[in-house]
Amino acid sequence: MTHAVAIQHLHYRAGKRFAIPDLTLTVPTGAIYGFLGPNGSGKTTTIRLMLGMLRPAGGTITVLGHGVPNDVPRALARIGYVPEQPHVDPTLTIDETMRFHAAFFSTWDWPWARQLAATFALDGGQPFGRLSKGEKGKLLMLLALAQRPELLVLDEPTEGLDPVVRRDLLAAIIEYVSQREATVFISSHLIHELERFCDWVAVMDDGRLAAEVPMERFKNSVKRLRIANPPRTPGDTPFVLLARESTNGRAETWIVRDWAPAMAAYFERTGSSLDDIIDLDLEEAFVEVLRAFRARNR
Amino acid sequence: MFQVLLYTQWKWSRLIVTVGTVAGFALPIVSVQGAAGAARNPLETGALLAAVQSWGALYPVLAAALGLLVAIATWAPDHRGRHVYALALPLPRWRYVLLRFGAGLSLLAAPALAVLAGALLATASATMPPGIQGYPVSLAVRFALAVVVGYAVFFAVSSGTQRTAGAILGVIGLLIIVHIIGGVAGVDLDVVGRLQGIVLGWPGPLGIFSGRWMLLDV
Amino acid sequence: MFEGRRLLVAFWVASTPLLRGQSLERGPASSDTLAEPTRLRMRADSLLREWRRANTVADVVDSIDRARAWAASETMSVGSLRIVANPSPLPLHDAAARVWRVLDSLYGDEARHFERRPLFVVAVDPDTTVARPVVRGGLMVTWDLDADTLALLLLANLHPLDVDPALVAWLGGSLRPTVHPERQRARVYVELVTTPWAVARDCFLQNLEHCGLALDLTRLDESPESWLQNPAERRVVVSRFLSSLSRGAQARAFHDCTNNNDSACVVFLRSIPREAVPRPLTSEARKTLVDVALQLGGRDAYHRLVANPDSPMAARLAKAAGVRIDSVIARWRAVIVASRPASVALPPWGLWIAITWTVCFAACALRSSRWRVN
Repeated sequence: MTHAVAIQHLHYRAGKRFAIPDLTLTVPTGAIYGFLGPNGSGKTTTIRLMLGMLRPAGGTITVLGHGVPNDVPRALARIGYVPEQPHVDPTLTIDETMRFHAAFFSTWDWPWARQLAATFALDGGQPFGRLSKGEKGKLLMLLALAQRPELLVLDEPTEGLDPVVRRDLLAAIIEYVSQREATVFISSHLIHELERFCDWVAVMDDGRLAAEVPMERFKNSVKRLRIANPPRTPGDTPFVLLARESTNGRAETWIVRDWAPAMAAYFERTGSSLDDIIDLDLEEAFVEVLRAFRARNR
Repeated sequence: MFQVLLYTQWKWSRLIVTVGTVAGFALPIVSVQGAAGAARNPLETGALLAAVQSWGALYPVLAAALGLLVAIATWAPDHRGRHVYALALPLPRWRYVLLRFGAGLSLLAAPALAVLAGALLATASATMPPGIQGYPVSLAVRFALAVVVGYAVFFAVSSGTQRTAGAILGVIGLLIIVHIIGGVAGVDLDVVGRLQGIVLGWPGPLGIFSGRWMLLDV
Repeated sequence: MFEGRRLLVAFWVASTPLLRGQSLERGPASSDTLAEPTRLRMRADSLLREWRRANTVADVVDSIDRARAWAASETMSVGSLRIVANPSPLPLHDAAARVWRVLDSLYGDEARHFERRPLFVVAVDPDTTVARPVVRGGLMVTWDLDADTLALLLLANLHPLDVDPALVAWLGGSLRPTVHPERQRARVYVELVTTPWAVARDCFLQNLEHCGLALDLTRLDESPESWLQNPAERRVVVSRFLSSLSRGAQARAFHDCTNNNDSACVVFLRSIPREAVPRPLTSEARKTLVDVALQLGGRDAYHRLVANPDSPMAARLAKAAGVRIDSVIARWRAVIVASRPASVALPPWGLWIAITWTVCFAACALRSSRWRVN
């Protein structure tokens, strides 16, 4: 098994307004896979389909070698899940919640759970409903980590949390991954957060996958090029042209992906002049990729 | 797993179960209070049976209320969390629902046993006129069955989606409309009456609630 | 029924001479010479003759009318029971068989008299939009009735055999056959157990002498309170059932009785008509006693029962049954005690039905809740 998650030609429809027409993505085992996308792009829906909470209309989903949704209980026993919204009964205390959760997972590690509770400074007697947003986020992360999962599925786990809490949660994830060769599937629209520790990134937009590449390649290979006397038609380019924009009639700005320095020879061949190569940070790259994707699919 | 589910079920329904247990214990005793002493007036036998029958009408009400409230308490937290937590647990959905059902049913044993205890105490302490007998065990068994059936009905309804609830309401509404149209058109359909007979009579689902509930009888 | 037309015809015939200007007086022109009573008597006789003539004509009209109305009907015979009805899906034969069984059981050989009392039944379409015929002298029923209900209707409309006033007074009503005697006996059982009267409860506890008292067959004495055994009963009877009679001279005794003065209760009870004091058991209980006596006596029992209307009731029942009244009462008590109704309304298979429905609804819950998140 080389992939922790393999989704092939997934098709799903929710009412008349949203659909996932044909989604294919793979999460390599041991990877920290960042799942980016604007609000309403289908990230949470994709995660719920992966976890067997929604019934797909077509396609196949395999998680840790188990088919979903037919064999989803076995898969869920090895998955730690932190949802977008808190899903725990608010009337239960922290200790009660941990006992409830532990009863369903045979891999639950009580010493590790208590250690995490101490690290997160959680008071076991507090009802979940009375916790602050940050404390709720920490408890949900504790529940996911303490069951020692092979796959962590985190749906915007730091959404709305202050920087200190976000740092604590991400540190816990990193520590867990370093102890154990677990796979992490984390969705977010906080790109800079994912930039620090994800090694794969996928961009989702309106139910479609706009990009799925290693993080380094995504960060380093998206460039903004200033070109004088650009060719009218680009033809066969060695890079992926995402967008082109005229600046003053005789010059253009090109956004490209998969850029390598040797590709400058292309402009010599076409009689153009490459005036400038500008590095884009992850956020700019993300925006340009999305923009180009939307333009192509309009 | 069942233990933790039972614990949470108890936490959600303890007030309902406690009140129901106290009421179930007290009801038989109160219903025969007219026959509590040996000095009971023999002229009041008919009145005693009438009182027992009147109080007896509260048994199906208590059973239905317990079933309804415990079923709602069973599903309320899941509804609030949109079932995400339960669906993320590593066990088949049917098993989870069955465990929930069993947890609620286990708690409902308390009021049923309380009715049995109260009925046994009431019949033991009552001075019964000749020809009048006590039926504590029959009454308690019937009460237990009514609680179970009521709980199952409301559990099924509570577990359904909004679409299911809408479908059920739609069917009921359609039957009522057909009944009204039939009346206006002069066609004797009596849909509501027939439905009532089917549901509330034997072997209908709610037949257990119909009839007299007599702790003391001839 | 035909009475309206009969009256009309009779009036017309009787009034014809007046319309012709004829006088009904037949006597000498000089009426002054006849005494007034004699003149009036002659006039009355004349009127009577005209009335009888008018009734005869009306009878003829009635029979012609009836023949025309029932021309398309068929006559069904079950035993001595005759039913005239139009062809229809009505389960008439089945109902008639049930009715005949009941009549035969009650009247024995005397049931043959029902040959002369046919029942006329008109079966009509249950659909109220279909026009229904005008029924003269018959019973209109919809043809979707089941046999049991139809049998009850037929019995209710059947004129029972006449019985003497003494039997009616003792029974507290006419002697009518019952389709479901077992239900009647069950009600009498409940009555025996729940009655407030000591004599009736003692009867339930095997005191046959008190059974006779409770059934108003024997009396200890002529006092109206002979079946009221204790002061509490006398007070309850007076205060609950006889308050409407507390006026005039009885008002003081009534008041003292309700204030726990037993002597006043006795005085009050003796001052009112005996028939006003409610008897310990209802007419239904006495009816069941008659049923038992008739069953014991065989097919000729009813004839013996009504043969001597002047005899005491106990003697009549004993003669009908062919045994001593003690035996009749003992047999009656045994039958009633054996008719104890089922008390708790949970049939034996109710347990399995309840469990089955529970499983069904649990299965619905398992099925309906799988795909929740959307």
